[in-house]
Amino acid sequence: MPSWSDFQPFLVTGLSLGGVYALSGVGMVVLFRATGVLNLAFGAVGAMGALIAWQLINKSGTNEWLAFLVCIVFAGVITLAYGMVFGPALAGREPLVKAVATLGLTLVLLGIMDLLWTSSGGASRSIQLPTDSNTFMIGSVQVSLTNVIALVFGLVLTLITGAFLRYTKLGTAMRAMANDREITATLGVPVRRVEATAWFGCGILSGVAGLLLADLVALDATTLTFLVISALAATLIARLRSITVTFFAAVVIGVVNAMITPIQSLTNYRDMTPFVLAVAALLLLSRKREIAVGRQGI
Amino acid sequence: MTSAGVRTNARPAWLSQTREPRTLIRLAVIVVLLLFVLLALPSMLSLYYVDAMIQVAVYTVVALGLGILVGRVGLVSLGQAAVLAIGAWVSARLLFATSLSFPIVLLASGLVTMVLGTLVGLPALRMRGLYLALITLMLAGAITVVLSTTNFPNGGHGFLGYNGGNVHVPPIRRPSIAATDQAFFRYTVVVSILMFFLVLAHVRGRPGRAWASIRQSESAALAAGINTTLYKLWALALAAFITGVAGGLLAGGQRYLYSIDFVTQDSIILLAVVLMGGAYSMWGAIIAGLLYKFLPALLNNWGVSSDWLTILFGIGVLQALTTAPAGIVDQFPKDMARLGRRLRGLVKRRPPARGEAG
Amino acid sequence: MIDVSDVTVRFGGVTPLDGMSVRFEQGICGLIGPNGAGKTTFFNVLSGFVRPVAGTITAFGEDLLKMVHFRRARWGVRRTFQTEQAIEELSIYENVAMIHEHSKMKGGSRREDVLGAIEFVKLEGDPYAKVRTLGAGQRRLVEVARAVVGRPRLVLLDEPAAGLPDEETGHLREVIRGIPEHMGAQVILVDHDMSLVSAVCEMTAVLDFGRLLASGPTAEVLRDERVIRAYLGTEEVA
Repeated sequence: MPSWSDFQPFLVTGLSLGGVYALSGVGMVVLFRATGVLNLAFGAVGAMGALIAWQLINKSGTNEWLAFLVCIVFAGVITLAYGMVFGPALAGREPLVKAVATLGLTLVLLGIMDLLWTSSGGASRSIQLPTDSNTFMIGSVQVSLTNVIALVFGLVLTLITGAFLRYTKLGTAMRAMANDREITATLGVPVRRVEATAWFGCGILSGVAGLLLADLVALDATTLTFLVISALAATLIARLRSITVTFFAAVVIGVVNAMITPIQSLTNYRDMTPFVLAVAALLLLSRKREIAVGRQGI
Repeated sequence: MTSAGVRTNARPAWLSQTREPRTLIRLAVIVVLLLFVLLALPSMLSLYYVDAMIQVAVYTVVALGLGILVGRVGLVSLGQAAVLAIGAWVSARLLFATSLSFPIVLLASGLVTMVLGTLVGLPALRMRGLYLALITLMLAGAITVVLSTTNFPNGGHGFLGYNGGNVHVPPIRRPSIAATDQAFFRYTVVVSILMFFLVLAHVRGRPGRAWASIRQSESAALAAGINTTLYKLWALALAAFITGVAGGLLAGGQRYLYSIDFVTQDSIILLAVVLMGGAYSMWGAIIAGLLYKFLPALLNNWGVSSDWLTILFGIGVLQALTTAPAGIVDQFPKDMARLGRRLRGLVKRRPPARGEAG
Repeated sequence: MIDVSDVTVRFGGVTPLDGMSVRFEQGICGLIGPNGAGKTTFFNVLSGFVRPVAGTITAFGEDLLKMVHFRRARWGVRRTFQTEQAIEELSIYENVAMIHEHSKMKGGSRREDVLGAIEFVKLEGDPYAKVRTLGAGQRRLVEVARAVVGRPRLVLLDEPAAGLPDEETGHLREVIRGIPEHMGAQVILVDHDMSLVSAVCEMTAVLDFGRLLASGPTAEVLRDERVIRAYLGTEEVA
């Protein structure tokens, strides 16, 4: 059994990743509550943004910060564009259909990413955020500013979003729309504007999460695309409702996943963490069986 | 049709339908196609394409299973690749460790996969729609992680049958009557046809009607006395069984299995091709199989990257969901019919007006 | 006879049924009330989709709430829904046969029972025609046929006349009237069409805010001041 000092660096990694998962999870939950769409393309959008940033930095010599900005804006715009086209097209359908549609977007992005930045041929790309080099020691562990930012962003976003939803007009409108889009529209709420904000905001978060994960984990299209599943697990544990639970679930997932790494007997299975936790939570939390009225499936 | 009220001497629908000339012609066409595929096709294709066609047959069966779930019961599974992997794993293990005959191995993988699928399905069925789909994603993800650690059996010992240090990895054995690729292709097609009949028997029978009822409205089905949980499990079991058998065929076809062949992306693409081919129709499964394994082989041969297909499939999903919920198989005949009508309209306008309405 | 005693349903901060107590006698009983009164919730309780937090329901001497939902149909509870539930891709025969299949009736008498039910609702034409080829009124009749096939004990009709033109409502009226005598079942009818209710129901119960407001012979209930007020929503003047 490894010692505490063996665990410490993994605790740091875990908290950072957890922070990014929280960032992603909160973004997805808010979008879901406002539009009924669970954006499974969240990771793919961020991945593409990160690859674009890499391209600009390494192949066009662009300034880092500008490249990061492009990444984030790109992610926002792509997500917004998708939302504006496919949101209305699928407006009346079930959440399942809307979520599967975002899988369509995921495939398109994965295809484009692999075409433009092929992963075969041993090409290994990476993004180093300038905050990586700012390191300091907490006890005997080295912590970089990136680690701190990841966790802090996640925390701050959760708090701001919570406040936004509860105390601002736009936020209240989003909560109302989660209940019924049409009724909210008749109340004079600019539904399309609110939706556009939710989509764009979610996209922005994709971009930020994409950059952070590219830095903390790897700049690889498939890896980044499917890392969204960890954030997804957190949102499922929160039943796609509470952003506070999303935050805590995300951090727990990140920490547990990372902390298992030095444990020899379990380390090969550490990536099962989000899956196991999500499944356990879903099965335990859905004791009451709901009977569906109306057409099921797609 | 009699003039007064209900015909009490009417025959059941299927009997009166098979006498219709249209159905007989359709049957004849199917039989001819099958004979062609079984007898002529393997010798016409190069080994490269025979290999691809084996995979087409395998994935047609997988698509058939997914189609049952999605199209008939409304359960979206985002993890069918993992189910296939289980079937392949069980088959590989049995083929290496025992000398059971190939058909028995296929049956065993089908049954094991079916049991596992049902055990997992039972608690999961408590959830609806989106949550159910996401749970399948989570479960598949877990299986993928386990698989990447345990790997596929390669002739080693122990429960897992995996010997990492195995320098010379033996190929998975094939049935003695189907040792060559061409012969194995025919074997695969025959087994696939059997699976089709199994599914057809379900769809035309009581489970099929119960599934249609559940799909329309679960509450109405319950109110009709249908044990919806039972029938949903039955669908899960059927889909898992045929996918398990398909896994065995895959093991025999590929002869070397790697965990990288069964990743999450594959499950998503499987869903995409099933949606594009048409989840509701059994022909759609064949289209799905061709999309999934024949097109990539074709493109690969021509030096075109299969990424273009990934993009196509993504667009296909979006198109299928927004415009044609029943998939290509439903949409294609509709488009053809519309085209036919337009053509007929054009032809009618040619001769000078004879007092005919356009 | 259905004996409802103090049934309360509560979820998510709402109390759709609040201590509802009523007795439905034999024959055809009406259940009316303004929108949101709890009528559909009551039907959902009878069907087993909603579990009350309190109260009991005794049907023909048996405790209905103890039965699992899908078993109630086997026991003899049948229901139509406000939305269409006949399956389009199947034929009329198959739609009705499905109910028979899942009830405790023997397969041997199936053809007879199914065709008998189709004849009872006076649905003309080919019983093997697909439901998707039928018009709205005919589809309603299919659903009624599904509700009366076999030997049901309790038939719940949820707004069967909604959206139907007058002549089809008239046909429906005759069909419903015949159910207790020809099929031996008790009927509870929920509808907003007062002429239908007063034409077929001997007894009617009125729900308002989840409680029983009035019950008794239909003509009296429809004249009751409290009932009229509940529908018009006027305040009680002290």
